[in-house]
Amino acid sequence: MPANLSLFIARGGEILAILEKTIAKDILKSELYPGGRPAAELLYARYSGMLYSYILQFVPDRKEAGALLVDIFSRLTTQLQDAFDSPLSIYCWLQVESRKIILENIQNKGVGDVAAGAGLVKGPKAPALYFSLLEDAPPEHQWVFRELFIYGRTKEELAIQSGKDLGYVSRILRECLGVIRKNLG
Amino acid sequence: MSGRDQKKSGVNIELYMQSGIIESYALGLATSEEVVEFEQLLPHFPELKDALQEFEYHLELFSIDNEIPPPPEVRLQMEDRLRTLPAIPDRLRRGSRSHRTEYVQAKETSGHIRVHRIWRTLFIAVFVLAKIFLILAIYYFLEYRHAERQLHPVAAPAVKQN
Repeated sequence: MPANLSLFIARGGEILAILEKTIAKDILKSELYPGGRPAAELLYARYSGMLYSYILQFVPDRKEAGALLVDIFSRLTTQLQDAFDSPLSIYCWLQVESRKIILENIQNKGVGDVAAGAGLVKGPKAPALYFSLLEDAPPEHQWVFRELFIYGRTKEELAIQSGKDLGYVSRILRECLGVIRKNLG
Repeated sequence: MSGRDQKKSGVNIELYMQSGIIESYALGLATSEEVVEFEQLLPHFPELKDALQEFEYHLELFSIDNEIPPPPEVRLQMEDRLRTLPAIPDRLRRGSRSHRTEYVQAKETSGHIRVHRIWRTLFIAVFVLAKIFLILAIYYFLEYRHAERQLHPVAAPAVKQN
């Protein structure tokens, strides 16, 4: 009984820790002054670590990732009304919008840098995050997901490059997403 | 409701969900056409919303487990950047042309209020102090009565003598 109680307390502590880390939209709404310091500080306190590791998937250089994080927060805190209008959670909205900014940033730097980034991402020290969920997937699946997710390429582009039809690429992506869902759950 | 909506929209929701649209949408991989379609279907299919929320929840837990704190200088850079941000003009905000306020028009959905966490500590401190003062007040009141009883027998003969 005491063991069960301590387990229950520990589990309760974990849940509280998770709740502390997540922000429901109504909480954020109540504290929001768009673009002002309170909203930015609140978002930064809760999501900076999560978004930083997310950015490191695309930009493994920590200094550059830090500069991008600053850019992302200063841009997105002025658009939080869009987050409220979106069916996505605050965190998912943040990461979807962050990805757009990151890809835009990479594209502005040019193709050469993207290729260099690709090498770094594939390196042994590169942070995996979502790719760690695809460790069991075949190399072709990992390649398709990397090209679509990290480099923002389209399925059509991949189909042409790989000489397969669009349906094949879509199927591979669907299987990748299935693996991710399974490993997350 | 779902069956009727499925017939109306011509979408087999089970197949649709198995297509990976939820994950694509949440990860930002869906095309603009897929996003439009998904957002149109979402209000009509509660199971779609539930599946999205479930995926988001697991994704967020995974991200919490794998978060990497950014270097401390990043926070300072961000504070500097935010200080230089101009105020958001009303005309740039969607649907707020007629409003002069810069606050977001948010509907209150909860009956609860939320306050800063420092109030918890302050409330506990005030509560403890109130209890201490109450105990002290009772103690001194009893002391006073005790002292008064001790003084009373002395005062009574003095009155008689007069």
